Amino acid sequence: MSSRQLLQRRAATTAAVPEDAMGNRKTAGRSGRRKPRLSVRARKQRWLGLAFAAPALLAYGFVVIVPIVQSVSYSFYSWDGVSAARFVGLGNYKSFFTDPELAQSLAHVLVLVLFFAGLPILLGLLSAALLGRGKMRGAGIYRWVLFLPQVLTSVVVAVIWKRIYGPDGPLNGALRAVGLGDLAHNWLGDFTWALPALGVIGTWTALGLCMVLFVAGVAAIPNELYEQARLDGAGPVKEFLAITLPALRGQLAVALTLTVTGALRAFDLVWVTTQGGPGTSTITPALLLYRKAFLNPDVGMAAAIGIVLAIICLLVALVITRLSEEKA
Amino acid sequence: MISRTERVLNHTVLAFVSILVLFPVVWFLFTALSPNRGGQLDFTNLEWGNFSTAWKLGGFGHAMLASAVITIGAVTGQTLLAILSGFAFGVLGVTGQKIIFPVVLLGLMISAEVFIVPLYYTFQSLGLTNSWLGLIIIQIGMGVPFGTFWMRATFRAVPASLVEAAEMDGARTWRILWQILLPISRPAVLTLALLSFMWTWNDFFLSLIFIADPAIQPATLALGVFQGRHSVDVNLLAAGSLIVALPVLVLYAFFQRHFIRGVLNGALKE
Repeated sequence: MSSRQLLQRRAATTAAVPEDAMGNRKTAGRSGRRKPRLSVRARKQRWLGLAFAAPALLAYGFVVIVPIVQSVSYSFYSWDGVSAARFVGLGNYKSFFTDPELAQSLAHVLVLVLFFAGLPILLGLLSAALLGRGKMRGAGIYRWVLFLPQVLTSVVVAVIWKRIYGPDGPLNGALRAVGLGDLAHNWLGDFTWALPALGVIGTWTALGLCMVLFVAGVAAIPNELYEQARLDGAGPVKEFLAITLPALRGQLAVALTLTVTGALRAFDLVWVTTQGGPGTSTITPALLLYRKAFLNPDVGMAAAIGIVLAIICLLVALVITRLSEEKA
Repeated sequence: MISRTERVLNHTVLAFVSILVLFPVVWFLFTALSPNRGGQLDFTNLEWGNFSTAWKLGGFGHAMLASAVITIGAVTGQTLLAILSGFAFGVLGVTGQKIIFPVVLLGLMISAEVFIVPLYYTFQSLGLTNSWLGLIIIQIGMGVPFGTFWMRATFRAVPASLVEAAEMDGARTWRILWQILLPISRPAVLTLALLSFMWTWNDFFLSLIFIADPAIQPATLALGVFQGRHSVDVNLLAAGSLIVALPVLVLYAFFQRHFIRGVLNGALKE
C-alpha cells in the first residue's frame, strides 16, 4: 500500500464521474471557448494538442495498454514460457474455484482487509471523532509523524517489522519483561500468527494515513454546525453520527478504496518478510502471480491472476464510489 | 469553543498514536547504531561505523547509483510528459480526446500486476530487461495517467484571462506554456516531481521482476538481498535500511508540505 495508490484511486474515481468533472468546475469559461463550433483555428490547435500529448500517449500505450490486451490473450493459454502455448479457454479462470492455493490466497486477502482497511479506518474514525475540531497546536508535527510510514520504502518497513517480531526482538522482549514470556513467539515463522502479524504491519502503515485524511476532513467542517448541534442538545455520539460521519463520506471512500485494494495487492511486504510462508500460510494472490510468472512459469495462469485482481480492484473502487455518492 | 479537558484529550490521543507509529522507527534507528550484531540497544556505545560497514558489505554504492539513475531518469521523463500532455488535454484540446482521455484515466485504476507479465516478455525480446533504461521506460509509461491528470487540473486552474491576454499579445503556443503557465504552476510541478521521486525510489516489485543482475540492481532490491544474507547482523541490516530510505526521508523532511498536501489534494480535490 502506498500513497501512490491513494492518489491514483481517487483521481480515477473522480474522473469516472462525468467527463470533465475535475477541471471544468473551476474554469467553466474556458471549455466554452472551444466547444461551440470548431473553427479552423481550433481544429488546428487540437491537432497541435495531439502532437503535444503524443510522447505521453506513446509511452503509455507501449507500457500499459498494449500489454493489458496481451495479458487478456495470454490468460486463455497454458504456457510455461518456453515450449509452445496451448489454448485452454477459461481454464485458468476456472482454477480460481479449484486450485487450493488460489482459494487460500483469496481467504488470506479477507483477513488482510480486516487489518489493512478495517482496523485503520475504525481507529482513524475514532480519533477523528475525538479530534480535529478547531485549530490544534502542534497539528503539523502530528501530521508529519503520522504520515511517515507512507514515505518509507516497503522493503524498509518489512525489515523493521521483521526485527520487531524476531525471536529476540523488542516485542518478545517486552512480553518477557512483563512476565508473559510464555506468549513469546517467532511471530512471522508461526503458522497461526504469521498472517495476523503481517496484518498488523499493514495497520501500522495505514493508520496514520487514515488519521491524517479524516482529521483533515473534520477540520474542513464548519464549526457552526457543531455549535448548532450543541445548542440542540446533541451529545458527542449523536454529533459524530449526524455531522462528522456524513461529512467524511468522501474521505472514507478514499481510505476504503485505497486500503482494500492495498490488501488485495499485497506483495512487497509479504515477499520480504515471509515469502508466503511458513508453508503457504501467508500466501497472497500477487505472490502467486509472481511465482507463476517468474519462478515456476505458468504464464497464462499468472496473467489470469493479474486480470482478476484488476477487475476486483476496479469493482471495489466503483462500488465504494457509488455508495459514497448515493446519499450525498 | 474547545474545553481544556477536550484539548488535553486530543493531545493525549494524538501523542499516543504518534508514539505507536514512531516507536518502531526510532527503535530501528538505535538498532542501526548498536555495536552488537544481535542489535541489542546500547546508548552509551553508539557504533556509527555500522553505516560504512553496511555500505561496503551490501554494495550499496552501486545500488544507490542505480537507484539515482533510474529515479532521475523517470522523474525527468514523467514530469516532462506530464507537462506536455497536461497542457494538451487541459488547454489546447486533443483530437480524439473523447476516446483517448478516458483510456488514459483508466490507467489510474490499473496496477502493474495486470500488464507485468506480457511486458516482461516484450522487454526481454527487446533486450530491455536487466537494464536501467528498461525500468525508466516502464516508470515513465506508468506515470502518464497520474501526471496527465495532475497537470491538466493544474493548468486548468490558471485563470483563462491570463492565457487569453497572452494570446492577444501574440504569444505562440510554446511561449504560453513555458512563460505563462509553467511559472505559475511551479509548486504543482514540484509536488509532482517529489511524488514521482518517492514512488520510483521506493519501487520494489518492478525492480524485482526486471532486474536479475545483482551488479545493476537498485537500492531497494539490494536491501532485499542484503537482508536475506545478513539476517544475523541485525545492526548492519538496520544501517543498510536507513541508507536506502534516506534520500526520500531527507526530501520528506524538507518538503513535507508538498508530500502531504500533494497526497491529500490529489485524493480530495473535487
